[in-house]
Amino acid sequence: MFEKVLIANRGEIALRVIRACKELGIRTLAVYSDADVDSLHVQLADEAICIGAAPSSESYLKIDRIMSAAEVGDVDAIHPGYGFLAENAHFAEVVESCKIKFIGPPSHVIQKMGDKNMARACARKSGVPVTPGSDGVVENDKDAAKVAKKIGYPVMIKAVAGGGGRGMRAAHNETSLIAGYHSARLEAEKAFGAADVYIEKLIVNPHHIEFQIVADTHGRVVHLGERDCSIQRRNQKVIEECPSPIMTPGLRKKMGNAAVKLAKSVGYQNTGTIEFLVDEDRRFYFMEMNTRLQVEHTITEEVYGCDLVKEQIRIAAGEPLSPHVARAVPRSHAIQCRINAEDPANNFQPSPGRIAFYYAPGGRGVRIDSHAYTGYVVPPYYDSLIGKIITIGATRSSAIDRMRRALDEYYVTGIKTTVPFHAAIMRSGEFRDGKYDTGFVERMMSSEAFQLVPPRAHLHE
Amino acid sequence: MKKNDLSVFEMEKDGFRIKLQKGLGDQPIIASTAAPAVPNGPATAGAAPTSAESASLKEIASPMVGTFYRAGSPDGSPFVDVGTKVNEDTVVCIIEAMKVMNEIKAETSGVIAEVVAENSKPVQFGQVLFRVR
Repeated sequence: MFEKVLIANRGEIALRVIRACKELGIRTLAVYSDADVDSLHVQLADEAICIGAAPSSESYLKIDRIMSAAEVGDVDAIHPGYGFLAENAHFAEVVESCKIKFIGPPSHVIQKMGDKNMARACARKSGVPVTPGSDGVVENDKDAAKVAKKIGYPVMIKAVAGGGGRGMRAAHNETSLIAGYHSARLEAEKAFGAADVYIEKLIVNPHHIEFQIVADTHGRVVHLGERDCSIQRRNQKVIEECPSPIMTPGLRKKMGNAAVKLAKSVGYQNTGTIEFLVDEDRRFYFMEMNTRLQVEHTITEEVYGCDLVKEQIRIAAGEPLSPHVARAVPRSHAIQCRINAEDPANNFQPSPGRIAFYYAPGGRGVRIDSHAYTGYVVPPYYDSLIGKIITIGATRSSAIDRMRRALDEYYVTGIKTTVPFHAAIMRSGEFRDGKYDTGFVERMMSSEAFQLVPPRAHLHE
Repeated sequence: MKKNDLSVFEMEKDGFRIKLQKGLGDQPIIASTAAPAVPNGPATAGAAPTSAESASLKEIASPMVGTFYRAGSPDGSPFVDVGTKVNEDTVVCIIEAMKVMNEIKAETSGVIAEVVAENSKPVQFGQVLFRVR
């Protein structure tokens, strides 16, 4: 087992990894930017090294500085968290070449599945259904029009090097297709450094259902069920739940087996997630694979009774899959709400700044994964996620009731948060019925009846 | 000092240095240190500069993460010492990162007032290496 791990990340996920390491008796080294000197993960780590100025490009994305810190700190392994360098095959390769363990899949697997087009090809090859689409990169707008006509509108133009809901353009007819083709390429070049795009059939208002994969280094691959991430705003997930309200045992078996088959076929190791789109007729299509730990790993942990970060560390250290993970079965229901430092009353404008007062809910069945605290200054340089609230219930409706109760206690002043937005969703009939899709948030917010629900407490005012 | 309304008093003589400052509140802060006698001696435990003096000194901060070395080789003489005159291109130290020896330039001009970082110890981004008058 490792003696010391460097956490190449920040915020709530850095805290999450540090907690798992501490429980395993592993020493922790945090790296941080100038803006994060007072961050909780820096305070709680055994050691901390400043690696640069505030902007990510000058700190958290600086491979050379992270590797220097790893050398100076004499670490055995590096955990990349999510985002930043977590799916950067070059980073994984550099770490491996320095004889340090990268807590994640091998770099060549990250490379393969990171290319969205290549990933689709792998899926097709292993017999996993994929959304009808182009046979690879679309070279010019004439080919784009041909492919789109063949698939049938509406279609989605997607960046090959994209991900996380970025670098996409929908097109409903040939005119918008041609325009979308060119603007998607331009955007892709800017955001990901590669202009190549491919085309997929656009499934209107699908359900976004993903499967958690855990694979050790001895060839054993299992899945830990699904998460429904259909509650999204502008292609960014806001609420996730496990299990999915539209899942049936038969569909779970089919999708789970497809996920495991695909993971095995590419030689996957460690944790990963396979994302599917499911249409109204419960037909599923492979969308993409995320070769990292996800933000919403928490709800799988609660329902399947495991610690996925500890399992990641064990797998990276060469241990076989833990028995309790290998034979895990789902029990109870879990929901996660992502709390962002954004103002839902003002088009979700970012709201960085000093948290004047922070009180997080507690009580039975409530889990908080957050690096926030009273007096903490949320920096403007990074994503706006300040915490995740997870509730567990014996049934879906008790998990929802619990989330509604807990959000009413989640009290943060000094900055704006999305707590009132989540509180409104917990009261929505459509959500409570489990009859929602990726168009839900848009519909809810444009309805006349929509109202944000601020917390009830008036502490410290 | 109070009588003469002095806030800082500094004296250096024969390898001994003392600094007195009329500090915050009415407490005088006394800091003293032995100045380095030989170039290859142990790293200077520099006197914590008084806040009044720090404000006027320029800092050379580390642009990277690595190990700080005062000399170009284990038995070489340090690039600079307290009292050395530097200009922008003067190499003041080496920072070793990933087995690569990086020569660090002063990027300021003046006279080295203090060697802050410790020889062969790790330094992080932004850490103060030297203070320059």
